[in-house]
Amino acid sequence: MSTSTGALRVGRDPYHLGHAPSTGEPEYTGHGAGGPAPKRIVVGYGFWIFILSDVILFSCFFASYTVLIHARNGGPGPRELFDLRNTAEETVCLLLSSFACGLASLAVGRRSLLWTEVALAVTGLLGLTFIGLEVHEFTGLVARGAGPTHSAFLSAFFSLVGCHGVHVTAGLLWLGTMMAQFPAKGFKESIRHRYLCFSLFWHALDIIWIGIFTVVYLIGSLPP
Amino acid sequence: MTLLGKLTWRAIPFEQPLPLYSGAVVLLIIIAVLVWVVRRGYLPYLWREWVTSVDHKRIGVMYCILGAVMLLRGFIDAMMMRSQQAMAYNAPGFLPPSHFDQVFSAHGTIMIFFVAMPFMIGLMNLVVPLQLGVRDVAFPTLNSVSFWLTAAGALLVNLSLVIGEFDRTGWLPYPPLSELTYSPGVGVDYYCWAIQISGIGTLMTGVNFVTTILKLRAPGMHYTRMPMFCWTALASSLLIVAAFPVLTATLAMLLLDRYVGFHFFTDTGGGNSMMFMNLIWAWGHPEVYILVLPSFGIYSEVVSTFSGKPLFGYRSMIYATMAICIISFMVWLHHFFTMGAGADVNSVFGIASMIIAIPTGVKIFNWLFTMYGGTVRLATPMLWALGFMVTFAIGGMTGVMLAVPPADFQLHNSLFLVAHFHNVIIGAVLFGAFAGYTYWFPKAFGFVLDERLGKWAFWLWVIGFWVAWGPGYVVGLEGMTRRLDHYSVAEWRPWLLVAAAGVVIILLAIIAQIAQIVVSVRTREQRRDLTGDPWDGRNLEWATASPPPSFNFAALPNVRDQEPYWDMKARAREIGQLVRPEPEYQPIPMPRNSSTGFVTALFAVITGFALIWHIWWLVLLGLAGAYVTFVAFAWRDHDEELIPAAEVARLDRANRAARTARLQERMAERDSTRDSDT
Amino acid sequence: MSTNPQDRTNREAFDPGSHIGEDRVAGAPPHEHPTLRAELRGYIIGLVLAALLTLGSFWSLQEGVIYGPAIVMALIVLGLAQVGVHLVFFLHLTTSPDNTNNALALAFGVLIVSLVFFGSIWVLYNMDHNMIPVKALLQMRGG
Repeated sequence: MSTSTGALRVGRDPYHLGHAPSTGEPEYTGHGAGGPAPKRIVVGYGFWIFILSDVILFSCFFASYTVLIHARNGGPGPRELFDLRNTAEETVCLLLSSFACGLASLAVGRRSLLWTEVALAVTGLLGLTFIGLEVHEFTGLVARGAGPTHSAFLSAFFSLVGCHGVHVTAGLLWLGTMMAQFPAKGFKESIRHRYLCFSLFWHALDIIWIGIFTVVYLIGSLPP
Repeated sequence: MTLLGKLTWRAIPFEQPLPLYSGAVVLLIIIAVLVWVVRRGYLPYLWREWVTSVDHKRIGVMYCILGAVMLLRGFIDAMMMRSQQAMAYNAPGFLPPSHFDQVFSAHGTIMIFFVAMPFMIGLMNLVVPLQLGVRDVAFPTLNSVSFWLTAAGALLVNLSLVIGEFDRTGWLPYPPLSELTYSPGVGVDYYCWAIQISGIGTLMTGVNFVTTILKLRAPGMHYTRMPMFCWTALASSLLIVAAFPVLTATLAMLLLDRYVGFHFFTDTGGGNSMMFMNLIWAWGHPEVYILVLPSFGIYSEVVSTFSGKPLFGYRSMIYATMAICIISFMVWLHHFFTMGAGADVNSVFGIASMIIAIPTGVKIFNWLFTMYGGTVRLATPMLWALGFMVTFAIGGMTGVMLAVPPADFQLHNSLFLVAHFHNVIIGAVLFGAFAGYTYWFPKAFGFVLDERLGKWAFWLWVIGFWVAWGPGYVVGLEGMTRRLDHYSVAEWRPWLLVAAAGVVIILLAIIAQIAQIVVSVRTREQRRDLTGDPWDGRNLEWATASPPPSFNFAALPNVRDQEPYWDMKARAREIGQLVRPEPEYQPIPMPRNSSTGFVTALFAVITGFALIWHIWWLVLLGLAGAYVTFVAFAWRDHDEELIPAAEVARLDRANRAARTARLQERMAERDSTRDSDT
Repeated sequence: MSTNPQDRTNREAFDPGSHIGEDRVAGAPPHEHPTLRAELRGYIIGLVLAALLTLGSFWSLQEGVIYGPAIVMALIVLGLAQVGVHLVFFLHLTTSPDNTNNALALAFGVLIVSLVFFGSIWVLYNMDHNMIPVKALLQMRGG
């Protein structure tokens, strides 16, 4: 609490309506007393906020899917369309890819170019396999006449899962760029921060996939 | 598949005089300005200091300029609508219906997305880092990208005037009308892509400011020592982060329907157009709070400064702001009470809508109590604040009326509704923007605006607003629906004529504002702000020079209490000298300027235009260009440049000298009055 | 951006894994380097738990494993648990005071997602319920 008693202080504040002391606050950077937080924390937090906004984007597609799940226009529904074996394979790919991404961040932390590139390559290959499986599933559905233009349910399904796939593809493009940047630029601070953002992104995509395979594929495959 | 997709010469409205001539006039003005800039040799300066700037102060000013220019375009649309309705009693008026539809759609779209948002974001940009006592926002280059993407969206909307058409479906394109079957032209596509592009920019701004306010503050600035404007900027930015993804998703679904034949909202294939309304208003309601919360913050700053008192009830203001932030995400159905959700659902959302008026009321009382017992100076910013309190309070009350579902069943989509939202948006957001730009203009440019013209502008705006929109309530209660291009009910006619007169008064107000700027710039030497504190301010933005150096503060202030600058001034007057001794000047690393923002937006315009006209090869080119831009930005070796200590010292010493001089003047005054009293 | 001169030293500091980032006590040195072994253990435990939960989800679809009407709830619980595993073991989100901002941001996100998702479902369900039945609609049209 400021002890200034200059003439500009107008009266006391007995009911603490305005100038209550901020006691008991931890002196953490970012909580105020420590001044501006270090750059890595700023970058990490900013990207975390962005990821939350992306999750909200997905929630709109989830909401549309759930609302439109019965709008089948006389066509097939989830039980007729989903191949759970394919879903399981996709899930394994993405989970292992997320794990590899975590290993890559350990390698980055220890500034090992070899292990970073190896782990990133594994991450990328598993991600590509996931996309391949998904594209195969989509083309199969379209060939069976169950494409996204057939019904609202299918539009919502293709958009939700497709949105996730587009995010994974963009992530792979980012990954490829990072694999080029590490040898070219070394482990400069800005590169490491960029990699931090990528790894947050990749883990978040796996989290969203958990939502997709649970809500769309597994719950969709249950008998009504 | 032709090379230019759907684009042909027929896209240019050769046979429609209004858009053709107005487009030609605008093009001539743009060319004239460019020629003047190039001939005077300003182009390198503009490129170096403004276009590629990542400085939050410059970006803030550019946002405000964008908002001001688009205000003129949106206002012209308003004048056209009012004149059409004044003339079109049992007559066709001068606007063909399809034009009238485009005019009201463009008016709403421009005013919300390209006037109100840029103004609020611009002021947040200019002021928040200064108030927090830091050097810039968390992600300066991203900030530049955000601005240029917003400008790109504005450009696309304006392009639709001369190449193609705009949408005729209102400022929110409801399906099934906005689906391809019923809107086969490019209008809805122009709208969707412009909003998607500028929406990305806005989302980035939200992320930027949440991070800045929560992680970058001067040492000692706990949450409860932040200025109120920063709290409201935080709440608004949280809402941006939460709501804008919903807008992006919903418009993406509409675009998928239109481009690829999906069935989200179509009336065939099982589509559910009500889902569009649901989702778009789940964005739309938080959007209006995104607009209004920063302007509440502006009023908090202005009222406390011009009452010479600290803001009353600071803690309760924080609670009220965060309560509004959270509740604003729980009321969206009140925009479609009549769509058939039933009494149960309507009641829940109706009650929530009424509850949100309570924290708003808390804020108004706090402002009133701040003024009570203070020495109120009626400078122009304070006049805007007072005008706001009266205008917005009435508008808010009509809002609570509309929140009652049975009442809304009568008033939905009538002029009563339209008058309500103009009342609250103009009363709160626009008046707030005006208060804000008048208040912070000296900080941005180093000289004060002309007070007399400012007062004229204020009175003309307030009177003009009530003359233009008072009749709206009356005519709405008499049953007039919105968006009518002609009518035949005799009772409405006199009111609509009065409304047209109101628009003329507002036109005079805007002329006064333009005159204020022109006159002030011409006489700027007489109105220089030498110390950086022209209003006897209370927060840290007044602790730097006007305009501040690029690094804002030579040494980050140590914050001991709320209203830290007021605290610093009080202590300075006690000890007779500036509180802080001259710091040991260090070289300061600042982020380098970058053309990333401008180039990204350029590719965004190309990609957007190509998508609208189905020029697929150009879409790929545009996306590739954007990707290359990101990589080029990611590849640069030097992202900071060091400002030498000598330069920092020179700038800071000049400001310290001016402040010391004024402090000594003030103390001499005080001593002389004290002596004359004894 | 790093505007605090003392933070110049942080530029070379070790940054362990894909943590979102913990706030530090002002003036305190950065966190100690965890060993490679300790960090690897965290990731491996996370992977194993996530794999088990995934297996559990697929397995619970089999007939007779879980009481029929409870399967949906079981899937949701398993899914949420796996999200938690990811957040804790891969994203290193904790409940300590240095992670307050991160956890609060997550809570805010969860609130908004719930409002949008469950709100939309509730509203649209009620609207569909109030729609005129197709037969009556066709009759009204004279068809």
